[in-house]
Amino acid sequence: MEALVDLDHVSKSYEDKAAVRDLSLKIEAGSMFGLLGPNGAGKTSTIRMMIGITLPDAGKVSLFGKPFGPGALKRVGYLPEERGLYKRMKVIDQLVFLGELRGLGALEATRRAKQWAERLQIADSIDKRTEELSKGMQQKIQFIATLLHDPELIIMDEPFSGLDPVNAVLLQDTLLELKKNGNAVLFSTHRMDQVEKLCDSICLINRGEAVLAGGMREVKSRYERNRVIVQYEGGDGFLQHPAIEEYKSYAGHAEIKLKPHANAQELLKAAVSAATITKFELVEPSLEEIFIETVGGRADA
Amino acid sequence: MLNGMLRNTLLIAKREYLERVKSKVFRITTLLVPVGMGALAVLGQFSGRKMEGVQDLAVVSSNRGLAEAVKAALADGSFPPQTVEVVAPATDADVARLNAEVAAHRIGGYLTLEPVPGEAEPKSTWVSGSAINLVGKAQMESAVRAALIREQLAARGVSDAQMHALMKDTTLNTMQVKNGAVVSSDSERSFLGAYGLIIVLYASVLIYGINIARSVVEEKTSRIFEVLLSTASSDSLMLGKLLGVGAVGLTQMGIWGALLVFYAGSAMAATQGIHGLGSLGITRAELAFFAVFFLGGFFLYSGLAAALGSSVSGEQEVQQFSFILISPLVVSVVLLPYVLANPNSTTAVVLSLLPPFAPIIMYMRICAQMPPAWQVALSVVLLFGSVWAMVWLAARIYRVGVLMYGKRATLPEMIRWLRYS
Repeated sequence: MEALVDLDHVSKSYEDKAAVRDLSLKIEAGSMFGLLGPNGAGKTSTIRMMIGITLPDAGKVSLFGKPFGPGALKRVGYLPEERGLYKRMKVIDQLVFLGELRGLGALEATRRAKQWAERLQIADSIDKRTEELSKGMQQKIQFIATLLHDPELIIMDEPFSGLDPVNAVLLQDTLLELKKNGNAVLFSTHRMDQVEKLCDSICLINRGEAVLAGGMREVKSRYERNRVIVQYEGGDGFLQHPAIEEYKSYAGHAEIKLKPHANAQELLKAAVSAATITKFELVEPSLEEIFIETVGGRADA
Repeated sequence: MLNGMLRNTLLIAKREYLERVKSKVFRITTLLVPVGMGALAVLGQFSGRKMEGVQDLAVVSSNRGLAEAVKAALADGSFPPQTVEVVAPATDADVARLNAEVAAHRIGGYLTLEPVPGEAEPKSTWVSGSAINLVGKAQMESAVRAALIREQLAARGVSDAQMHALMKDTTLNTMQVKNGAVVSSDSERSFLGAYGLIIVLYASVLIYGINIARSVVEEKTSRIFEVLLSTASSDSLMLGKLLGVGAVGLTQMGIWGALLVFYAGSAMAATQGIHGLGSLGITRAELAFFAVFFLGGFFLYSGLAAALGSSVSGEQEVQQFSFILISPLVVSVVLLPYVLANPNSTTAVVLSLLPPFAPIIMYMRICAQMPPAWQVALSVVLLFGSVWAMVWLAARIYRVGVLMYGKRATLPEMIRWLRYS
């Protein structure tokens, strides 16, 4: 399948600081892509190059299989990191204006705006002026503005920041539904838990460089299943087993990290001989752990 | 592609237009300016009445004949006083009494005439409670000069009646060759249109120029420009903004223009000797040029405001550059008397071609005496060419400047931005 977004070895510097260095990534239709990284890693710079707000110093940006051109932007929905709306405009006027700007007719834009407002539970706010709404509500309005023209490619810069958990889940579910309908979604975040649940592929960037990229399963499989969670009754002498690199022990519950290439079965045998084991689970590292492991102390944040 | 750009530009223009026309500022200024103009007109009439000669005065001289001649000359002058007391010859007590009357504002002042031996002209001194105005000064000077002539005429046996006929003030009828025809001119009214343009342009640039700069800054600080730029080009954004705001300006002008036409045709105006626009000294051609130069000037200064707005980071800084914005207009106004006096001098011609000054200076020249067609055409072409250049410039600065927020751009940085996008 042809990639909707194809960044080919792009680089971008501002003044004396390199924001993005030799970054390549591809986003396929019908997938959800997570752009990860600590604050200041270059996520926003990368996104801005994707939609032509800034141009790369080196490398190529292709959208929908063609080199970037402004014509492609009608098929893209973009939510910038810092939310911007006309404060004094009525919500519905604002949505219709932005919809029209992306090629919808006024009537169609009005119809869709109302539909979306129902769906995101803000229908009673659309006749208010934007400045009268809470920040979270304004964010939902902008979310709608991004999606009104049913873009094939949805690019959102930190879409869930500043939302309460209920609304964050509402927007997450909406994105998942869009993905199911075949739209490609890219979002950036520094929150690993969101990516782990939502994304099919990720790219982790740090100091402008991709340090980890690929399908979610593939990335995680690259890391050993070297985490063990044990629940037990009895002595905890098995925690001194040579296969264990480090552990956290709570009453009858231990989280263990094994040494590289250690055999978990040996540990299980030792544990069974020392205590009554009620649970012994070998788990993949969470993305958060991978993130910390990869970026380590090198993060700028 | 071009269609898309046109569509976006019009959409943006429509939004800018509706947002402003619905705003309070629009309603207030639409109402306030005609009220202010009315107040100015009343004030003008009032201060016009003030520009009169001295009403009550005394003439003091050791030469009674001279004093009487001055009194007669004053009565025949352009500004005949109500009372003229002749004190000749005057004692110290008389002078003390006159000083007291001046101090009590019973008389405007007194004129002393001391004959100088061997000279025809006496030493004349005006004593009053306040500085004399120009009319009063001219009134006294011409009276003394006329009195000297009167004395000479009297010595040659000219009768009082003949003297009155000879010495009374004449009235100059002024005619003007305007666009090929000799018409009667009223030197004050023929520039009414030009002064109107200055006031209107000045007010619009101050109101809408600052308004445009504000809206650019608002888009920057609210970051909505990032959404806009992800769908529309910065050229569409800037052009749409200017067209929208320009349409607002025209709407307002239209309302004011309709009010003026309505006023000029009204019975109230007829009582003031005004019958229709023609008698205000405004011809149709002038009205058309008014529209052209108003629009050109308006767009040029609005474009400049947009460019300045794109280069600053906060609302407060908008205030600081409002002076930069209107300074060419101020310069035009300062140079106006010179241009009026020498409408075809090289300086006036050059100024009327330079876009920042063209709207006022060229329009004033057109009102004074129609300049050669090529000059008018060149001026209009340069004006609208620079509007286009200004929009282009503003769009570039907006495009790049807004992405580097937080600090204000220096001039070299701005030049670098221009090359970059």
